[in-house]
Amino acid sequence: MEIQLKLYGSSKILSDKDTLNIQLPNNSDIKKLRDILDKIISEKYSKSNLKSLPQTAAFFSERDEVINDSYKLRNKEFISIIPPIGGG
Amino acid sequence: MSLHTALVKIEEEKISSEKAKKFISSEKNGAESIFIGRVRNENSGKKVTAVTYDAHDQAVLKSFEMICSTAKIKFDNNAKIFLEHVKGYAPVGEISILIAVGSGHRDEAFKISRYILEEVKHQSPIWKKEHYVDGKEEWLPGHSLRPTKEIK
Repeated sequence: MEIQLKLYGSSKILSDKDTLNIQLPNNSDIKKLRDILDKIISEKYSKSNLKSLPQTAAFFSERDEVINDSYKLRNKEFISIIPPIGGG
Repeated sequence: MSLHTALVKIEEEKISSEKAKKFISSEKNGAESIFIGRVRNENSGKKVTAVTYDAHDQAVLKSFEMICSTAKIKFDNNAKIFLEHVKGYAPVGEISILIAVGSGHRDEAFKISRYILEEVKHQSPIWKKEHYVDGKEEWLPGHSLRPTKEIK
């Protein structure tokens, strides 16, 4: 299955586009998505400040609500990654 | 109408303190508090030229409404509140956030303003990328919205 990850803040380093398509095994949850992001960052962005992102990021569903690690992802689902925030 | 919140796209318009003053103006106000946050030219010893603000628009607007409504319930239900935050590339000196509060008394006006600022920093999905004199740029660290008990 595949999801579309909408990128915000520091996660924009992961792509030149606003979204990143991520391939996952069927029935994956957010925890699995964190594991895959960790692998991507370790392989391609080890020199960046993104190392902690898979653990510190929250994820929003299409309803803009925080979803927890056990949330089951659906094929073609649109998810937002929310790195640690700091406006003002 | 006692509440105005917005995310202002800087390439389209700028945050206006005059607009804020007009919005909160009321003969019922004994106090008006206006807080303005600006992009400053230094952070942690680095010379800053600008900050790019990124935001999850829908979630930010939802959080602004929630924060301001809660502030009214906590401190003064009759308060008039104006909250705007910038989005986009903001050079040094530009207003990044403006919180204006009209209230019956000064204590409530100050408390509402402070409460809103702190909650925006901890609840609203907004991110800052600083641009430096040497041409480098960096996303700033922040507050995680992931439930604390889940973080390893």
